[in-house]
Amino acid sequence: MPIIQVENISKVFRISQKDPGLGGAIKALFRPRYQDKVAVDGINFTVEPGEVVGYIGVNGAGKSTTIKMLTGILVPSGGQIRVLGRDPHRQRVANARDIGVVFGQRSQLWWDLALIESLNLIAKIYDVEPARYKQLLDQFTETLELKELLSVPIRNMSLGQKMRAELVATLIHEPKIVYLDEPTIGLDLIVKERIREFIKQQNRESGTTVILTTHDLGDIEELCPRVMIIDAGKLIYDGPLGTIKDRFGKFREITFDTAGSLDPFEPPTGTQVVTQEPRKLVLRFDRTVTTASQLASTVMSRVEVADFSLAEPDLSSIVKQIYGGALQKEVSQ
Amino acid sequence: MIQTLRRNVSAYNALVTLVPKLYLVYQSVFWIQFLLQFVSMIVLVYFWRAVYLGQATLGGLNLRQTLNYMLLVQWILPLLDNGLILHFGDWLREGKLAIELLRPLDFQSQNFVREQTDMFFFLLQKLPLLIVAWLVFGLQLPADPMRWVAFVVSMLLGKAILFFFQWIFACLAFYTTDVSGFYHALNAAAVFLSGALVPMAMMPGWLQRVAYSFPFAQAVSVPVSLLSGIIPLTDLPRIWLIQVVWLIGLAGVSRLVFRIAIRKVTFQGG
Amino acid sequence: MARYLKLYLWFWAQRLKVLLEYPGSTLIGLFCQILTQIPGILAIWVVIRQVPGLGGWNYNEVLLIYGLLTVSMGLSFVFGQNLWFIGNGYIRPGSFDRLLLKPIDPLFMLVVEYFSWSGMGDALMGAVVTGKALLALNIMWSPLKVLALLLSVGSGTAIFIAVFLIGSVSAFWIINSIPVTALFYMTHIFARYPLSIYPRGVLLLVTWLLPYGFASYYPASYLLGKEAGTLVWAGPLVAATLLFIGYRVWLFGLRHYASTGS
Repeated sequence: MPIIQVENISKVFRISQKDPGLGGAIKALFRPRYQDKVAVDGINFTVEPGEVVGYIGVNGAGKSTTIKMLTGILVPSGGQIRVLGRDPHRQRVANARDIGVVFGQRSQLWWDLALIESLNLIAKIYDVEPARYKQLLDQFTETLELKELLSVPIRNMSLGQKMRAELVATLIHEPKIVYLDEPTIGLDLIVKERIREFIKQQNRESGTTVILTTHDLGDIEELCPRVMIIDAGKLIYDGPLGTIKDRFGKFREITFDTAGSLDPFEPPTGTQVVTQEPRKLVLRFDRTVTTASQLASTVMSRVEVADFSLAEPDLSSIVKQIYGGALQKEVSQ
Repeated sequence: MIQTLRRNVSAYNALVTLVPKLYLVYQSVFWIQFLLQFVSMIVLVYFWRAVYLGQATLGGLNLRQTLNYMLLVQWILPLLDNGLILHFGDWLREGKLAIELLRPLDFQSQNFVREQTDMFFFLLQKLPLLIVAWLVFGLQLPADPMRWVAFVVSMLLGKAILFFFQWIFACLAFYTTDVSGFYHALNAAAVFLSGALVPMAMMPGWLQRVAYSFPFAQAVSVPVSLLSGIIPLTDLPRIWLIQVVWLIGLAGVSRLVFRIAIRKVTFQGG
Repeated sequence: MARYLKLYLWFWAQRLKVLLEYPGSTLIGLFCQILTQIPGILAIWVVIRQVPGLGGWNYNEVLLIYGLLTVSMGLSFVFGQNLWFIGNGYIRPGSFDRLLLKPIDPLFMLVVEYFSWSGMGDALMGAVVTGKALLALNIMWSPLKVLALLLSVGSGTAIFIAVFLIGSVSAFWIINSIPVTALFYMTHIFARYPLSIYPRGVLLLVTWLLPYGFASYYPASYLLGKEAGTLVWAGPLVAATLLFIGYRVWLFGLRHYASTGS
């Protein structure tokens, strides 16, 4: 029985169009013009209890809009959402009891209260049974090493400490689903590791379902067996992480600044010309077939190179590839 | 010929659209203050009418004089705000003060010139309020141009006096971060002591003496009394002498206090 | 219901704890706020003492009205100041969602998260002035009069808060709701003095539309046995109605927020 069911949801925003200047402001008052912006366009998926799902996409792709709809903050323009069998917006309070949300930058804790006071408050708001609260508190502060921080107010904590505190606050009421939005942003590697380990542990031991939105591919690799990719409001991939890595994670792009102009460049095997301009040549190569240095020497033997740079595969390029790939898949099927 | 005409017309158009834009630019803050003062004027008028119901004069002033005085006070009242201390607080926090302190002379003069010129723009900007007071509340403006001259000069002097006083007060920001409470308390006190709530003449003697021992009256009661005719123009030499003495005195003290305050910061850091 | 009450007390205890951390600063703040009330009261003292009265109300009677209004005004900021900040303090920085993600009424959370210490200063000063006036006026006290007084303070506070609420809902559309709220708030200055000095239009405004009159003029009238005093019993009703309207408007604003996002 899926814990989250999303059926064909969409979200359309009406943005008012205004010409600049005084005339525009007055015109907008009398004859308002609107433009529809489709943030989410017919998304379907289900999530089973205990899954850890990565939800990725470039900025503006519709990630936060989807999450807002799942958490009940935003009402979909169309379609249906069922979280634990409920409509998260209509049954906001009941849904809120069963979920925990971490917004990377914005804290749910109270700014000038000591951490322990904030946690006590949260326990009261969520009606956590006192004995259970004590038990979980001890457990979490032990695992995340927060014992000394309990008397410190949030405003005096570093980013890493804040995030650890956030996680405790989010999980202290034992939610069935946790939505994590950029939980490791801005943190150093050691803290990231600790947080990822903690999340994994929670999922393992309590069966907490985790929906993770992030730009950090390290988070995805560590935590998410399943990945959903959203682009321009549509779900373009929903499947195992392994497939993505095998198929798309092996490509690299290398950009050459060439001294002179080239004749049409014949790429060596396993490489592909992305861009060829009078002074620039961009090649994509399969890492498993050739190496950057091999390719560079091949290119330099054929043309004079002033400079070159190697690009790591970033999310947008993977997404682009997948989008292209997904289209091809649809065509062939 | 046509070109010149067209150029003039487009320049004129630009200017015409600039004027409402200037007012729109100030939007919420400006209009809210305007409406607040409008409401204050209504309360004011009915309050004083009720006060004068049983008598012709109070403190030597009749109803017409008091109303003129109080309405004119509304026009200039926001100039009394002692917000400099808040700016000092911000500058200290952001570390901007450190940069400015490399040129201590310029810093105060810069601010001084800016505040004086701002005053003119402010008074112009608030003209609609004056017009409303004239149209709706029966404000009587003097025809004698000399009164206006006396008003402008004593406003300039009064505002300058206030500036140096506020400078001294603002140095409190070097000693504590809790400036908001002081700011509100001083503003409230200033409003009364300047003669903006009650005309000086109506206060009991001892209270008048207290009020005049503060500089606030120099920026409000004095200029407005001159403009509304409560103080005759023959008193001008004495009035201006007093204002100049205030000015020189406070200017000197402000330089001294500032120098002491800076020393504290630069020796103790941040 | 009991749950909300317990939570409310808990939040209050927390806020008090924070205040007690820096007692010096807290006391200075209180003192400064009390100081801000003095000029207004001094003005009344200076002027009204010299004349037979204001619209048929003598010096102590005017002081009573002024004091009562200040008490309600101060208390409304103590309990409801956070309503002013919905736009600039919650919606703009994106922390309004935080309120929606908890299994608790978001309006409750909002109101309860902050209480204004400076409002306490105003309320205290208002109480002192009211007390002084009541003592000097030799009121013929009765249980009904005590009830009327207490109800009026409560209704007055509720009316101010309802006004804050209605103004603050504009934040869902224009984010900076402070100018709108300020607009509704500023008309309370009429109620500082006896409403009998104003023309009929103002009287009606401050009685039925922005009913600040129930915080000061009507209870004072009742306590002094003046004619307008019978209206004092309408106060709680008016306050309740205004709060109800405010809450409906709030729900309307919430719905808008949920469909358009921040």
